[in-house]
Amino acid sequence: MSCNDTTETTFKYSATVGIQHEEPLLFEHAHEAPESINLPGVNGDISAALSAFSRQQAANIPGLSEPETVRHFVRLSQWNHGIETGFYPLGSCTMKYNPRVNEQVVRLPGLAHIHPDQPQDTTQGVLELLYELQGWLGEISGLPHLTLQPAAGAHGELVGLMMIRAALDARGQQHRRKVLVPDSAHGTNPASAALCGMHTVELKSGADGRIDLDELKRHLDDETAALMMTNPNTAGAFESDVKEICQLVHDAGGFVYGDGANLNALVGVARPGDMGIDCLHINVHKTFSTPHGGGGPGAGPVAVNDMLAPYLPVPRIEKQGDTFALVANCETSIGPVLGTPGQIGVLLRAHAYISAFGRQHLHQIAGDAVLNANYILHRLKERYHVPFKGLCKHECLLTDEIQNKHGVKTLDIAKRLIDLGFHPMTVYFPLIVHGAMLIEPTETESRETLDAFCDAMLDIADACEAGDTEMLHEAPLKPFRRRLDETQAARNPVLVWQG
Amino acid sequence: MRFLPHTDTDRSAMLEKIGVSAMSDLFADIPAEFHLDEGSLNIADALSEAGIVRKFTRAAEKNRNATNTRYFLGGGTYNHFVPAVVDYIISRGEFLTAYTPYQPEISQGTLQALFEFQTMIARLTGMDVSNASMYEAATATAEAALMARRVTRKNRVVMAGSVNPRYRSVTANYLSRLDGEFVEVDMAGSGTTFGTDLDKLIAAIDEKTACVIVQYPDFYGSVYDLSPLRAACDAAKCLMVVAFSDVSAFALIESPGAMGADIAVGSGQPLGIPMGFGGPHLGLFTCKQKYLRQMPGRVCGLTSDADGKRGFVLTLSTREQHIRREKATSNICTNQGLMCTAAATYMTLMGDAGLATVARHSAAALQSLVSQLPDHVTAASGARFNETVLSFVDQEARDAFLAAAKAGDIFAGIPLEQIDSAAEPRHLLVATTEMVETDDINDYLAILEVTK
Repeated sequence: MSCNDTTETTFKYSATVGIQHEEPLLFEHAHEAPESINLPGVNGDISAALSAFSRQQAANIPGLSEPETVRHFVRLSQWNHGIETGFYPLGSCTMKYNPRVNEQVVRLPGLAHIHPDQPQDTTQGVLELLYELQGWLGEISGLPHLTLQPAAGAHGELVGLMMIRAALDARGQQHRRKVLVPDSAHGTNPASAALCGMHTVELKSGADGRIDLDELKRHLDDETAALMMTNPNTAGAFESDVKEICQLVHDAGGFVYGDGANLNALVGVARPGDMGIDCLHINVHKTFSTPHGGGGPGAGPVAVNDMLAPYLPVPRIEKQGDTFALVANCETSIGPVLGTPGQIGVLLRAHAYISAFGRQHLHQIAGDAVLNANYILHRLKERYHVPFKGLCKHECLLTDEIQNKHGVKTLDIAKRLIDLGFHPMTVYFPLIVHGAMLIEPTETESRETLDAFCDAMLDIADACEAGDTEMLHEAPLKPFRRRLDETQAARNPVLVWQG
Repeated sequence: MRFLPHTDTDRSAMLEKIGVSAMSDLFADIPAEFHLDEGSLNIADALSEAGIVRKFTRAAEKNRNATNTRYFLGGGTYNHFVPAVVDYIISRGEFLTAYTPYQPEISQGTLQALFEFQTMIARLTGMDVSNASMYEAATATAEAALMARRVTRKNRVVMAGSVNPRYRSVTANYLSRLDGEFVEVDMAGSGTTFGTDLDKLIAAIDEKTACVIVQYPDFYGSVYDLSPLRAACDAAKCLMVVAFSDVSAFALIESPGAMGADIAVGSGQPLGIPMGFGGPHLGLFTCKQKYLRQMPGRVCGLTSDADGKRGFVLTLSTREQHIRREKATSNICTNQGLMCTAAATYMTLMGDAGLATVARHSAAALQSLVSQLPDHVTAASGARFNETVLSFVDQEARDAFLAAAKAGDIFAGIPLEQIDSAAEPRHLLVATTEMVETDDINDYLAILEVTK
């Protein structure tokens, strides 16, 4: 059945065979640095006092001419896979198209070249956009009070837990320091709890990959500060018991923290705040399409309900009459969590993404994202093991159980996908199943792309069954570099060039 | 909707294959009481692309910015020159739209750029190793304190009161939920005005101290010799942590590494990254080689592939949250990847000579300004890099000057109490970069004269 779903074309996948140049490290470009770039400014004397501290040894930053610099970095860029190059089905990462107009508008001088400490009557435009974004994220999450300041999802988790801790302390419950975290959770959850001076207890997932209510009840007690839950969870399943789960945690005196990494499945369709979640971070670099940039920058706004609102960090963006203000004074606040107002350029891109959908179309984000994930699941479910049955949300979870019989592992499948022109899915996460492959297509992929990816996966399954496994173990063969020796890198770490 | 490729025909066909009849069936596992009516959220109506451009342009036009105003603002964010090439490189989709390079075979571009970034940052700061970024300087400072606690297995952190108050308050906030002691050494009332009193700081060190955190140049721009502190840290077996707010300084003055820092952290925003109302910026984190395995965040390392060709991977991941979970060195995951590529591109364009020119012009502009001040304004004494404190007789005099300067298209400085709430409201934190021209200084001085 593998190819019947698609029209025959000359090539099935885009397979990576582009023009790729070897490019030395810039430290290896063997020539004297060219004349320095022409810079503006005061070409005068520095003070005698400062001269006493002059640097004695040059830093040895090589310096290339402008044409060489451009060619160097353009060549490097061509060794990368990006969303603009091809499909990026990374589960729990929400790699969707990043609209170019968003890049254009954040570069307007009135948004890019402004200082956070210039007089606030000269920054009303940016503050108004941010204030509007706060309101929209409050609407989308069902949690009306916002801080835009956290710099990434993990930072948002920390800030959210700080607020929960402050609320418990205000109740005189300094003994509540236990955070319950399902074993399917992102690693940042327990790491953030530890940084917040709390300890985590892992909840074992039920047979369906969801939170097990009996397991939850067993661990809830008067030391419980919070449950951190991801919904849909990292197996791509909606926690249908969410209302009861929140009720149980609330009855035990704790808060429910929502990890918003998977908000793409719900945006415009249902709201975590309505379900009983008290506090939610939102990864705008996932749900709201701000570029991942090879590992950031992101932003992790946190939305909270009335109970946690007094503890929001400062500065806050408020509307005072007709003007907007960054407000730094608040007695009950957990205080500052970042040295700047936030990742403003990232947040503005999120504003532009929401603006493009607007109230009329926002639900189509979740709609098409969930449709696409189920379409992939449907096309692959007969040939790959599906650990948890039923419809999925925005991502689907498979394992390598069937391919294991032929000696093929998740890693081999992932690397073979590279040869076929796709970025691999998320592998070996979540940890609750063996050989996990978590696939998240997002709403911005066409059916044609989904079919090509499924065809590639089915061809790999065919190859396993035909015993044609050598190429799977060797993969990838086509890209610029083959499998890298990660053990060597970790055993003898070389992090800077010594040439 | 222009970002969604499916037609309704596609959707129907796909639903049929899946075996459900309507989109709403895909959400049947969400209890009905939580389903929203389509279009019921209180969010603005959808905008066309032209509409988005118009809306953002109108908002941007309400903000004064560095293309129409002269900036003498610092305090951790600086108006340095951003070459066109930097923005071009980070706008390329292959850098911009890539994920974290966990699949190294198809991420060598990001990885080699990170390796080059780490190398250049280590060289500029004079340190052994650099990670592949933190969010920004304040959280990087907090992470340095946490790292020093791990390295020394002690939990008392001493911090100079001349560190940027925002770095101080974020660090204090991070540490406040953990066991241990956090001591801020107030620099007011000591022999040093708007500077760092090392004697007072050294007196606060004891055998329980994990680290001492100073800023160099400090929050007030003061440059000073750290060798007495290095000796005191050696005696107490604690780490010397050096924070900085403008890394370009180290193309001109001695680096934190040369001054003996064990950990050096700060802002890389001056390396080709626009002010952006505070972000995204770039947090730098560097340390001595021997402390590498306690470092937070991602790092890129050299290795080879199956054919023996040189390549790069993210490495030492057993320190990180996705492996070590609650025992990780930090919770950081997404960092400032693209800003590392921006900084690497910037440093490559500049080289030693360009970086030195940026730093020298920044310092020369300050010297030019300070050396011509009228009598009614005094500048803090001693060696300053590109930032200092100007003191007026009273708040009224200062604010009258600020207002007149603003009317003359000059942001003349940040009222000190806006960042340092303990400061008297008659001081002005003033910073200069290579973007300040001689004419701008003359205009600044002329306005000072007329608002006497």
